[in-house]
Amino acid sequence: MNRRHTRKWLFTAASLAVGLALIASACGSSGNKTNTSGSGGTTSGGTASGGKTFANFRLAYDTGIDYLDPGLSYTVEGWGIMWNVYLPLVGYKHAGGPDGATIVPYLAKDLPKVSADAKTYNFTLRSGLKYSDGTPVKASDFAATIERDFKVDSPGVGFFGNIVGADTFGKTKTGHISGITTDDKTGSITVKLNSPQGDFLNILATEFAALVPADSPAKDQSTTPMPSTGPYMIKSYAPNKKAIVVRNPNFDASQFDGNVPSGNPDMMTVDIIGDDTVALQRVISGQDDYDFHQLPPDRLASTQQKYGDQIKVYTPANTYYFFMNVRVAPFDNLKVRQAVNYAINREALVRIYGGLAQPTENVLPPTYPQYKKLNMYPYDLAKAKKLIQESGQAGAEVTVWNHDRGTDPKATAYLTDVLNSIGLKAKEKVINSAVYWTTVGNQATKAQIGFADWFQDYPHPLDWFDVLLNGDRITETHNNNYANFDDKAVNAKIESLKKEPALTDSVNADWASVDKMVDEQAPWAAFMNRQFTDFFNADMDLSCYVNHVLYQFDFQSICKK
Amino acid sequence: MAQQATETEFTLDTAAELAGAEQGRETIRGRSPWYLAWRRLRRNYVAFAFLGVFVLVLVACGLAPVYASHVAHTGPNSNHVLEQVKVNGHLTSVVSAGGLIDKKTGKSCSVSGPGCVLISAIPIGPTWFSGGGRYVLGGDSNGRDVAVRLLYGGRNSLIVGIGSTAICIFFAIILALLSGYFGGWIDFVITRFFDLFYAFPVVLLGIALGSALAINGFHHFGVNIESGSIWIPTLVISYVLIPYIGRPLRGLVLSLREKEFVEAAISQGASPLRVMFSELLPNITSSVLVFFTLIIANNIVLEAALSFLGAGVQPPTASWGTLISDGQNLIVTRPWLALAPGIAIVLTVLSLNVFGDGLRDALDPRAKVKIEH
Repeated sequence: MNRRHTRKWLFTAASLAVGLALIASACGSSGNKTNTSGSGGTTSGGTASGGKTFANFRLAYDTGIDYLDPGLSYTVEGWGIMWNVYLPLVGYKHAGGPDGATIVPYLAKDLPKVSADAKTYNFTLRSGLKYSDGTPVKASDFAATIERDFKVDSPGVGFFGNIVGADTFGKTKTGHISGITTDDKTGSITVKLNSPQGDFLNILATEFAALVPADSPAKDQSTTPMPSTGPYMIKSYAPNKKAIVVRNPNFDASQFDGNVPSGNPDMMTVDIIGDDTVALQRVISGQDDYDFHQLPPDRLASTQQKYGDQIKVYTPANTYYFFMNVRVAPFDNLKVRQAVNYAINREALVRIYGGLAQPTENVLPPTYPQYKKLNMYPYDLAKAKKLIQESGQAGAEVTVWNHDRGTDPKATAYLTDVLNSIGLKAKEKVINSAVYWTTVGNQATKAQIGFADWFQDYPHPLDWFDVLLNGDRITETHNNNYANFDDKAVNAKIESLKKEPALTDSVNADWASVDKMVDEQAPWAAFMNRQFTDFFNADMDLSCYVNHVLYQFDFQSICKK
Repeated sequence: MAQQATETEFTLDTAAELAGAEQGRETIRGRSPWYLAWRRLRRNYVAFAFLGVFVLVLVACGLAPVYASHVAHTGPNSNHVLEQVKVNGHLTSVVSAGGLIDKKTGKSCSVSGPGCVLISAIPIGPTWFSGGGRYVLGGDSNGRDVAVRLLYGGRNSLIVGIGSTAICIFFAIILALLSGYFGGWIDFVITRFFDLFYAFPVVLLGIALGSALAINGFHHFGVNIESGSIWIPTLVISYVLIPYIGRPLRGLVLSLREKEFVEAAISQGASPLRVMFSELLPNITSSVLVFFTLIIANNIVLEAALSFLGAGVQPPTASWGTLISDGQNLIVTRPWLALAPGIAIVLTVLSLNVFGDGLRDALDPRAKVKIEH
């Protein structure tokens, strides 16, 4: 998932087509220790707000909201709002720092009981839960929610492909998913998998699994919001203009054992602003309380000087990289790929992005406990040129792909110059961001090399290696493995690690070794982990600020001076 | 000349000479419309001055490779992010370091804290003449020399502007002649074609076509144009503007079609092609010339707009539009990034417009040529 550049991650067809040969055992990831470097760390959990409630929190949001329908949205912008609106059975702790990666029960009474073969998950719904319209929450709503995902062609359906009967339901969209059984009287929910899946709990914590009433229409409900289970409900949404989020009158935080806080603002007004500078100005002038946009590089210094205390810098789990398609010449040659890695100066790329980033050549971001810094390809232009000569690919024509939004085109402008300087004949191809990911993810395009970035869907190494670099999951269209990297040893290692029930130190070390194995084969030239900013007006009390490992700034946590 | 005419044909000049000879007066020499236009034009010093400005821009942009290799010592797309240049004897980073910087150590902080300040990486500003010819107008975020890119960008903008104008006017003339001369269903079809284009705002149509062709280029009818080629914006701009030239020219042809000299040509058995190209075309040439200068200016602006919006010249190729787009994010700290190409566009467009107006006054003082879209 991508933050400031709306991008729908299409596990959908991709994962279904491959059939998700996910294996692993249960109870996956509560031991994750993902960390953000933001100033978050304050836990805002608890049922009461401690007298910090205030009337209206006004956000200068960007235009990245794709939908405000939990079955359809697949952007940080959408999820950031809906995290506190539509609740899944389980979810992430409302806390900054590593604690935020802990999965806790939301609508479920407890974390699931998992069978010995790790293929069956048993949940029990909390009793007395109600939707914002007053209707009771039923166990059968869970089955209906997952089935609705398939009916609306949700980008998240690929996550559920391992549920027994999901594939068949996905094709026919009639009847029910046989692997999900529910009992409305007892509140029992049973989910059966085809094979063990270590990150299944993370998947159930996504918004795609957030319960909506069973009779919800199987079409986009963004502008006609569905009843919600969380502390807030969406009152209205006018795409590209405004969303208004208000308290859910039927939410009782005491029912959630402190896992779902009631939130401080009584209302959130989400003003959708297209321009970074306008958004900043609105916050400075007091028209809005919070600027979701990245601060414009041009205004960083002056904003820091005048309003330094109101800026928060954080590093979400992300990696920016250039993919190299190993199926297409000249990148089918290892030496060429290594040459590119030697030739790019990661420090230069960081500067191109205004300095708000850390250079890297790892797949995993440094916020992961599995991260072990790699330094296999220090900047060495002479070596890169030599490798190109040795590869016999000097003068090969190369098209460098990128989309046209933000600072990213500057990165490929740099790459194109670098490729030309090491003896390749490179030209740039910049296309509209709306079609970029589907274009480079289509095998027919044969995209040789290009820009990509990845922001985690959930804090687990599988969200990186399995989704982006597992050769068994390469698809013809909507392919996330842009490099078409298909290394038997790496694939086998990923499959083997999927079976691990918990991310212990030794498992983490194994994931770090996968990172190294990938780097040796150089299907990517990873170059940085980007940092982002949150900016608030002077009325906000940032001692309440919580930056979550997945959802970033937790809007409900903020309080006013 | 007069003597030759006497021998071959009876012209007004000859008549004037004979009359003058009979009356013992000095001969009054007839002047061709082109000569009269030239005489009017050369008395318009303002128009000539602005023509000079345009020629200067042309020459400067034409000499871009010379400037790049002998003065700036870099190419238009060469990145120098981490390099340093000597400015007034001091080494200065082409792009300064940025990010979260520790106030005490000056090193980067991994997390924000009280000891860290947020600094943005900013490219070098104009060195004017203190950088040994390097970064005269400063650098951009990629450490590219803005002056070099300005000149190369100017070349591309002028190529697109002039090229698209030539193509556009060529097709507009053909359609206007066919439509105005033949009338009937041919006129109906062509004018509906014009109407179809009028239905779309030029910039929107340009964005739509430019964006679509930017992905796969154009590969139809035996024509292969790769995406990213400068031909794409050239053809898109020429295509969307055809009706805006074609329609007024059609009006001219329609009025000329009813003139006696056309009827005379037809009655003498001239073929439609001959009438169109030997009788009608010469009579609309003055308007075409005026259009040409004005449309070049218009197309340079349109190219800049499309490139600014990402639907014109594709990066890393420079054009004035892409340079303004690159510079907009640094308008406060490095205004020259956007100002320099902006000034170049203003100068070029102003010079062409003033010269175009002068040309119009010279060729046909009564004409009311203007482009509206």
